[in-house]
Amino acid sequence: MLFAPAILAAHVVLWHAYRGEEERALEHVVKTWNQTHPDETVDAVAVPYDAYSQKLSAAIPRGNGPDLFIAAHERIGDWRASGLIQQVPESADDDGYLPETFTPLHDGGKLFALPLAFKSLALFYRRDQLAQPPDTTDELIAFARQKRGAGKYGFAYETADFFYHAAWLHGFGGKIFDDGIPRLDSPEAIRSVEFVLALDREHLVPGDATHVLIAQLFNEGNAAMTIAGPWFTGEIAPGVDFGVARLPIVSETGKRAAPLLSIESVFLAARAASSQAALRFAHFLTGADGARIRAIEGRQTVAARAVWDDPRVKDDPILGAFYRQLPDTIATPSVPAMALIWEPVQNALRKVLRGAATPAAALHDAQARIMASIHLLPTPVSPLPYAIALGVFCLVALIYLSRRAASRLGQARKQRAAYAYLAPAAISMAILVFVPFAVGASMSLYHHQAGRFTFIGLQNFISILSLREIPITDPLSFYFTLGVTILWTVANVTLHVILGVSLALLLRNPLLKLRGVYRVLLIIPWAVPNYITALIWKGMFHRQFGAINGLLSLFGIAPVSWFSHFATSFAANLATNVWLGFPFMMVVTLGALSRIPKELEEAAALDGASAWERLRHIILPLLRPALLPSVILGAVWTFNMFNIVFLVSGGEPDGATDILVSQAYRWAFVRGSRYGYAAAYAVLIFLVLVIWSALARRLSDKEAEA
Amino acid sequence: MATLSVQSVKKSHGAATILKGISLDIADGEFLVLVGPSGCGKSTLLRCIAGLEELDSGAIVIDGANVTQSEPRDRDLAMVFQSYALYPHLTVRENLAFGLKMRKTPPSEIVTRVAEAARMLEIEPLLDRLPKNLSGGQRQRVAMGRAVVRRPKAFLFDEPLSNLDASLRGQMRIELMRLHRQLSATMIYVTHDQVEAMTLATRIAVMKAGELQQVGTPDELYQHPANQFVAKFIGTPEMNLIPADDARKLALVHSLPDGTAQVGVRAEDVHVGHGVGAADAMVEVVEHLGWEALVHLRIGALALVARMKDPPAVGARTSITLDAAGLHFFDGTGARIFSSNDRASAQRARP
Amino acid sequence: MKAVRNALVHVVLVIASMITLYPIAWVVKMALTPSQGFSLSASPIPEHVTLANFADVLGARDGGHWLFGRQLANSLAVSLAVTAVGVVLACSAAYALSRFRFPGRETSLRAFLFSQMFPGVVTSIPLYVLLEKLGLLNHLAGLILVYSTTAIPFCVFMLKSYFDSLPRELEEAVLLDGGTRFIAFIRVVLPLSRPALAVTGLFCFLTAWNEFILAATFMNDPLSFTLPVQLQRYVGDYSTEWGHFAAGAILVSIPVMALFFALEKHLIGGLTQGSVKG
Repeated sequence: MLFAPAILAAHVVLWHAYRGEEERALEHVVKTWNQTHPDETVDAVAVPYDAYSQKLSAAIPRGNGPDLFIAAHERIGDWRASGLIQQVPESADDDGYLPETFTPLHDGGKLFALPLAFKSLALFYRRDQLAQPPDTTDELIAFARQKRGAGKYGFAYETADFFYHAAWLHGFGGKIFDDGIPRLDSPEAIRSVEFVLALDREHLVPGDATHVLIAQLFNEGNAAMTIAGPWFTGEIAPGVDFGVARLPIVSETGKRAAPLLSIESVFLAARAASSQAALRFAHFLTGADGARIRAIEGRQTVAARAVWDDPRVKDDPILGAFYRQLPDTIATPSVPAMALIWEPVQNALRKVLRGAATPAAALHDAQARIMASIHLLPTPVSPLPYAIALGVFCLVALIYLSRRAASRLGQARKQRAAYAYLAPAAISMAILVFVPFAVGASMSLYHHQAGRFTFIGLQNFISILSLREIPITDPLSFYFTLGVTILWTVANVTLHVILGVSLALLLRNPLLKLRGVYRVLLIIPWAVPNYITALIWKGMFHRQFGAINGLLSLFGIAPVSWFSHFATSFAANLATNVWLGFPFMMVVTLGALSRIPKELEEAAALDGASAWERLRHIILPLLRPALLPSVILGAVWTFNMFNIVFLVSGGEPDGATDILVSQAYRWAFVRGSRYGYAAAYAVLIFLVLVIWSALARRLSDKEAEA
Repeated sequence: MATLSVQSVKKSHGAATILKGISLDIADGEFLVLVGPSGCGKSTLLRCIAGLEELDSGAIVIDGANVTQSEPRDRDLAMVFQSYALYPHLTVRENLAFGLKMRKTPPSEIVTRVAEAARMLEIEPLLDRLPKNLSGGQRQRVAMGRAVVRRPKAFLFDEPLSNLDASLRGQMRIELMRLHRQLSATMIYVTHDQVEAMTLATRIAVMKAGELQQVGTPDELYQHPANQFVAKFIGTPEMNLIPADDARKLALVHSLPDGTAQVGVRAEDVHVGHGVGAADAMVEVVEHLGWEALVHLRIGALALVARMKDPPAVGARTSITLDAAGLHFFDGTGARIFSSNDRASAQRARP
Repeated sequence: MKAVRNALVHVVLVIASMITLYPIAWVVKMALTPSQGFSLSASPIPEHVTLANFADVLGARDGGHWLFGRQLANSLAVSLAVTAVGVVLACSAAYALSRFRFPGRETSLRAFLFSQMFPGVVTSIPLYVLLEKLGLLNHLAGLILVYSTTAIPFCVFMLKSYFDSLPRELEEAVLLDGGTRFIAFIRVVLPLSRPALAVTGLFCFLTAWNEFILAATFMNDPLSFTLPVQLQRYVGDYSTEWGHFAAGAILVSIPVMALFFALEKHLIGGLTQGSVKG
């Protein structure tokens, strides 16, 4: 479905995940360029954010990637090592970039991208509540104390998010990496967490706050200040008079809080088809002309210095504020190890705020985990013994199969027609399902580090199954997650069946009024795409404003912080998945019920059986065989129900509600592309399910015999 | 029409042997009924003839042509299934026409043949209905119509009447006989009901456990059962069987051929009377059937059934005799021992 | 007594229906509300009503192309093709598994079940490479193949159990009537399996209609994206345009809902009752 471009000297493809005004500004720049460069046209392709990095790593190594792509600078180290990007030659124009945005784009002394815009946090405040923003934390605390009230705050931000916390960490003099080594348990880091803990304990900031809640509080005037990035402006309600200022100085150290800086950059993809033209366009896009359009129309805080002389940009209250914050920012480290930092630190923050650990203990724990995961590098081994074992296995399997086949050849020949019917589905499944899985599964014998795969034999499995230093009750342990997954599956399938069968029984009566209407209403959840369902339910479980707590309050029950405890968080996932899953079971049951002859029940009724006895002894036993296949299949699907767990609870608290697939996903895409480890998880998931289905079969066979 | 020959057909399913070498010749225009208890292999044999089951060995020959390896559609047979197997999504008319369409019969001929079959089976008013809107008897007629319309070499019936109630069944039996006479077609009919077999058949083949027990006209089977099994299976009420010892002790029978283990006698050959070989019996139960009655008698441990026009009262003691010409002798294996009776009747039967 | 019980049944069903409708009402509210923020009140009734979100989603343009129209066409094309391919392949496989006893039957059945156990996490990149080798990358045909094979196992199970419930005599009657097995399959088995075909068809359609990660990964041109990919574009890394997302979600869900309504009877249906059982 590609539209063949006209034969041109060069055609540059640019991938981006921009939306709204940023996307329009980018398209304007592209249009401007295309008008003046008809022989080097550019095509900007918008890719959904959720699929962006997967698409990059799938397409570029195979030469299907773009010439240029836009992304934050954080993954330079990773991408360079994986060979996804190529070096950008330094040029005379490079002086035109703000140095804070340009220097971090180097890796090992080489330049790998050109800066488009920078994004950091700053202090947003409501002018109607605050004439002058505080310049120190003491002023900020004083103001917050004075504003504190029922549901009202002087200050609110996502305290449990390390992205926000990093500003304080730096303000207290801490560093994420010290000499290239993660250093998250330094005294400075501990002080910064203690500082936040004090804010929380004094109720100067709302607990359990997500950015949705923050926006709400801010818009309703219940929070006078917040820490947020430029994207926050889009969430401020019209009519709210707000200002943006630099983050305050940490009074204790005299240093200004320095948020992480993310530099949106344009990368030159490896194997770019038109790299020269692409570079020329990249310079145009990042240079003064392109930057001016992006700053004015796309409202980007651009990296081109010249634009900041323009009064339309310089005097813009929002852009200007971020520009002033820029000197007090720290570029997010772009080394691959950074990917391993987020989760442990985030968990530590949450633990502290929940009161489950002291700042020092939590951070020491996080540090130990980070170091463990960095040092968890397996040693390469020779693939030879494995190859021999595989060869022997294949040989034995081949001999066994050919013997078996020979003995059944006559029978097979007689049933030639059967194979003809089966072949189309079998062949396409073999190619498109089994081969990719075999390839994916074989990754479990490799270790993936920065684009290189090293053969390590079974070490991934050993390290997953042997736990090493992780206690078995830790959410990161395989056995814990397996337990949660089994609980998740059993609870879901049980509820699906109970609800599905009960509703089907109610709907069975053909004389029931509005039967058709109910039936249609009750299967709606099946028709809604499950990622939509997941996002909606996540909102409904919101602590402050979610519908569920709203309903509970009608009964005088205090609001529940759903995602802070295992039980409630698990229940939230469960409720969502039950909501979307019961209609399937209901429909299957309705079908099965319609196949039960009425006479059977009538006979039982004449025998004096009560309604309950008829249900128990006639209907349910007859339903069993009809429901069994759906239950088995439903259990398999639920076991691997990634979307719900990942989007609703996201594994909260501390990954405790993660199931095996979402853990596998985290190893592959969140904790630094450990594909091998993720593949080993996938293979284990598969094995667990195979064993389970064998057991289920044996059970049902035994029952059939009895 | 056609002749049909089954030649030492063997068939097994896994370890179970279903047919143990069956040979059977069916003449043109014959109405052959395969009868036997359930599980005796009669349906399997029919399905083998139809080509729905493959043989392990043996051959099926139709009109001299070996069709053992032929597909069902090439054998030109029609079958009426126990479940009727009417196509639920097609109207009666379409059901009738289906086989003709498959065989590329010209449309005009399809119309006339469907009309003809519909008339013959009196289902004209039903032609545009779907099978689900028909009663059991109507479905039965349509199923037969679907076979008739094809004008096949032979008709195969697999217990076609077993889903009908008693009165309908009797009616359909007459219908079938009429049809057989009208079409003078070769028909093979499977049933477990010996009454059906006796009333319909020109020849009956009795099967048990995958083996033919006896093949013959209803009369032959009734008069000269080849073994104890056939003797008991054919005829209502069942033939009385008297252990040879009892027969001797009670002196019911004049003389027993050598090796006799059981003496069989049909209810109509048990008479009230005195004289030689009379035994004292008590009347236990009397079943009145209208113009005659079945009298259940007891002589010590021995129970006998007699068919009588004027039954004695229940509880009465009466003296009975057995008609010497109606005695059947079976040896220890259950096989018939030929006696003077057989020779006499064989001579009688000869024209 | 009976009236009380009847009323009770209605109460339960009304509550259940309200629970299923509530989240939907919320989406509608967000779609009709002018802001792009997440609606946080418990009431599902919107305070201000605007159709701007729908207009934005429907009116999105890329160059000179009407994006929504193109992507709707893509989605429809892919989903219908997946329905056709998936149902045809699944029917034929299910028929073999239901009617023939051949060496390898058990293995195939198990393989279909096992295929449902593979976590997608590890297969997406190998699939990408595979499609590239087949020259189907960036072609809707590639998506069609991938989605079809995803949907096949479930369809095979559904159809097999349905075929199992159809009496074999019907096909035998066809064989004696002069038809082949294939004719029996096409002219008798398939027409009688309409309810099962409707369910499996719907399932295939849903699989294709709702997927976005693979579609976004395998397609390079916004004009060849499917609707969910576009919908996902409203969910960003920093923030989500909830109003647009909700409006898009409704637009994406409408055809599926319509299908559900149209096929609702078939979903449960029992065409073969009465007629086959005799």
